[in-house]
Amino acid sequence: MSRRVIALFTAGLSVGLVSAAGAQLPAVSPEQAEAGLKVANVQIEPGALEITRGDTARARAVLQDRTGNPVTGAQVLIWSPSPAVRGTNPVTGETIVVWGRQPGNATVSVFVQVPEDSGSFQGLKGLRQVGAIPVTVKDWDVARIEIAEPVYRPYVGTTFKLTARPMTVNDSEHESATVTWRSDKPGVVSITPSGVVTPMKAGRAALVASTENGVTAEYTMTAVTNPTATLEIAPKASSARTGDVVRLDVRALDKSGKPVDGLAMAYSVFGIDSAGAHVYRDGTFVADYPGAYRVVASTGGRSAEAVVEVSRRPPPTPAKKVGQGVRTEVATSDLWVFTGKDGRDYAYTGTHAQGGGQRMFVWDVTDPSDIQLVDSVVVDARVVNDVKVNADASWAIITREGASNRQNGIVVLDMADPAHPTVQAELTDQMTSGIHNVWIQGNIVYAVNDGTSAINILDLTDPTNPKHAGQWELRPGDSNKSLHDVWSDGQYLYVSYWNDGLVILDISGSHGGTPTKPAFVSSIAYSQGNSHVAWRYGDYVFVGDEIFGCAECVNGPRGYIHVIDVKNIEQPKEVAKFDVPEAGAHNIWVEDGVLYIAYYQGGLRIVDVSGELRGDLYRQGRQIGWIPTAAGEGEAVVPNSPMAWGPQPFKGHIFVSDMNSGLWAVQHERPRPLVP
Amino acid sequence: MVRALGAAGALGALAITACATHPAASAGAAPDTAARDTRYWVYVANESSDLISRVRFAPPGELVEEKTIPIGIMPADLDGAHGVAVSPTGEHWYVSLAHGTPFGKIWKFAAGADTLIDSLTVGLFPASMAVTPDGTGLFAVNFNLHGKHVPSSVSAVFTPFMNESKRITTCVMPHGSKVSHDGWRHYSTCMMSDQLVEISTERQAVTRRFLLTPGQERLLAVDDLGAHAMHSGGARCKPTWVTVSPDDTRLYVPCNGHAEIIELDAVSLEVQRRFPTGKAPYNADVSPDGTTLVVTLKGAQAVAVFDLATGRETRIPTTQPITHGVAISPDSRYAFISNEAIGAVRGTVDVIDLATKERVASVALRHQPGGIAFWKMEGWERQRAAAR
Repeated sequence: MSRRVIALFTAGLSVGLVSAAGAQLPAVSPEQAEAGLKVANVQIEPGALEITRGDTARARAVLQDRTGNPVTGAQVLIWSPSPAVRGTNPVTGETIVVWGRQPGNATVSVFVQVPEDSGSFQGLKGLRQVGAIPVTVKDWDVARIEIAEPVYRPYVGTTFKLTARPMTVNDSEHESATVTWRSDKPGVVSITPSGVVTPMKAGRAALVASTENGVTAEYTMTAVTNPTATLEIAPKASSARTGDVVRLDVRALDKSGKPVDGLAMAYSVFGIDSAGAHVYRDGTFVADYPGAYRVVASTGGRSAEAVVEVSRRPPPTPAKKVGQGVRTEVATSDLWVFTGKDGRDYAYTGTHAQGGGQRMFVWDVTDPSDIQLVDSVVVDARVVNDVKVNADASWAIITREGASNRQNGIVVLDMADPAHPTVQAELTDQMTSGIHNVWIQGNIVYAVNDGTSAINILDLTDPTNPKHAGQWELRPGDSNKSLHDVWSDGQYLYVSYWNDGLVILDISGSHGGTPTKPAFVSSIAYSQGNSHVAWRYGDYVFVGDEIFGCAECVNGPRGYIHVIDVKNIEQPKEVAKFDVPEAGAHNIWVEDGVLYIAYYQGGLRIVDVSGELRGDLYRQGRQIGWIPTAAGEGEAVVPNSPMAWGPQPFKGHIFVSDMNSGLWAVQHERPRPLVP
Repeated sequence: MVRALGAAGALGALAITACATHPAASAGAAPDTAARDTRYWVYVANESSDLISRVRFAPPGELVEEKTIPIGIMPADLDGAHGVAVSPTGEHWYVSLAHGTPFGKIWKFAAGADTLIDSLTVGLFPASMAVTPDGTGLFAVNFNLHGKHVPSSVSAVFTPFMNESKRITTCVMPHGSKVSHDGWRHYSTCMMSDQLVEISTERQAVTRRFLLTPGQERLLAVDDLGAHAMHSGGARCKPTWVTVSPDDTRLYVPCNGHAEIIELDAVSLEVQRRFPTGKAPYNADVSPDGTTLVVTLKGAQAVAVFDLATGRETRIPTTQPITHGVAISPDSRYAFISNEAIGAVRGTVDVIDLATKERVASVALRHQPGGIAFWKMEGWERQRAAAR
């Protein structure tokens, strides 16, 4: 019989014993606790463990008293705070078993249980640490090295980097292996251990990449004479505002005046009377702060210079509240503003859990300064997270979560009378877990399924009879994914797949997709994950995070807007961001060169995203207006506390839903055009 | 004093002896002498508010929500507080957060202070939980009720360090979690596999499976994950819970889809009796004195109270629909019932006096109260001292 079962029995037999032994820990007999008191040391063999990921290892632990004599009969526990390993508890016998979960280093601590007043560890009374053993969890062995073909030609005197990926026997990139480079002819091509290449003279050299475990790969590089005869930069002098992207045209020409292709260029930027600008590898310049900057392009011993004079962008202009649809009893979620079939303007707003999110409110916003609540629709839900109206405002969809029968799904509203919409249909089949967001594209609805993390594609050609028309999900069969939102421009779907980032799907045929059978195009993820919302405008997709519970989240959420360049839709790349340091981004809308962000506790942010974007848009001063959507006592569920949920520009005003205070109408006077 | 009889009540035959010394141990004790000065507390999870309610009951009818504890990290999404479990000594309580991105969590709290101690990520939609009698083991079913019907699991957790020591694959949509009072076995059911699953707490492995489908009841192979049971057609049990008699000899399984309770012999897993119920029996609990079975009727806005000696049912309406959970006090006197309600209507906890078979108190909580667990009772010691 194992000690575990003994522990279970003793806990049941004597409440006093449980209490005396420390209630959180396995119960120990007085003899076991007494034996624990005698333990002064633990001799662990081997003294350190090295495990391959997924494997287990065993160590023999001998408890010793002060004189080194073995102690028997004590209850042993092991623990490690590291996610790299797991141990088996309680320990039976003298064998410690450790399982390597993921690569990394860990310390596994060994404890004995003692009387409650004789030791404690992190608040656990009755525990005494007697030893520890370092554990290293290795990744699977490296089997090969993948070397990427350089994008630059190896002209003498240029510098660029070779990249290599160590791949494991299981075809994943090794998490910790280091690739070290060397050249067999450093006088021809020199290379640093990390892979920075400098062709020294014409000739051939073997560049060898190797890992600690002796796996090697070779890349043969033939250095050629740098044909650059002249280096030109244009414009030699230019002016811009902070945040404006200046494209410096750097041209390398050979003796005959032909451009030199594949030339690696090096750039540097010097502040003449300021600091705070960047030059990227493609020759684009952007400044965060005003001032004069000197830009130097160089290659193969030649250089060219330009001066960029940067002025400050105009300061933000006032945004003011012109009206509010007050809600004091229930939190507000998403909104949709439209012109109804009766010619009047309306906003529909959803409701969230605080106060009971079972309603969609109908507001007449024809006069934004006099917002009138005209009706509401009650459904069986506890969160109506999303509200969307179709293009001709004949029907709308509201999403359900927390239905009493756990059926959830969507509800379709008939908007013949937009002031008093009525429920005309619902669809719950396959969507019982709840629908978090939807997007309407013609008669097709893309619905975000909470439970399956799939997009349910619905046909609402007949809105009284919504039907399933398709489904798409990332990595079918793999449950480790989380879907949050979907948006479309009619050509592509832009899907916010949380830690899997932005996923782009074709629905117009460019990559074989149709509206009901989307085809994967590309994706881009970033380390902080939590991709929550996406919206395409021009060459960019704006992707918002939503981060709660982080170390920095002292006053609420964090997360920002990532700007993804999709000029090449198959190779999206992040080029810029808008990051309010003290707040967290939520829903967005982009229209007419302006990005509107409901920035939770940061209120509504209005950002100039006209022209080319690069770098940190917030530091560049591209924010052109903001308003804290906080309402006072009697005007909010939570007064004096903005929690902006979603924005929508409409007929010259910006409507914003705020979780704490309902619906806002905002007016923002700003200069036009935004692009000078 | 923390839930002393709760722990003693985990002893089967010994427990009955212990309880017999309690002035209120007999369900037939007079209300004004048995429990007048006793106070009872339960924790209740409000799934659509992400709040835990701590509820205090003082007989004959004072019932108050004395505290709410916010849980979850995503105020803009529901984290979905679903199941609640209290350690046998009452020092800690646990709540399962069903929704995640995508995996759910179990949070561990210090009871009374109600401060967060630790948390652990487990499987998809962790729901019901049970703690071993020594408090060191917690078993949480990963309900995984959405999407394709695939076998899910039970997470075995070592509570001192909140390590998931093992994830045991069971069957489709596991729900209900109960550890036998002797601590050897864990029981759960699977709604879509029509199975009762027995796990050895020592080996942390499935030891037996039993098919609950009406007319087809039988032992199954240990490796039968029940992936195809839902396609078989015909009447189905659709079990949602399992509870164990105090002496560990009987198991009671509500067949949510077949309006009955199945009583099984815990040794042979043979069906002993069937108790017809109202619509959609959901959760169940047996009184520590072994005399009474209380079943929530999710579809009937009521509880069914069965005299286990005679099988006679007393039906008691609840104050709100979607009757969900039940927890019986260690003195076998009161049943605490959670009622989810619908939409923005606040759910309730009702208190049923098992001696009089009457609802004696009710209090409104938050949205969708479901998981419920008994925390502690105080004051009965004074009664006993006075009696002496």
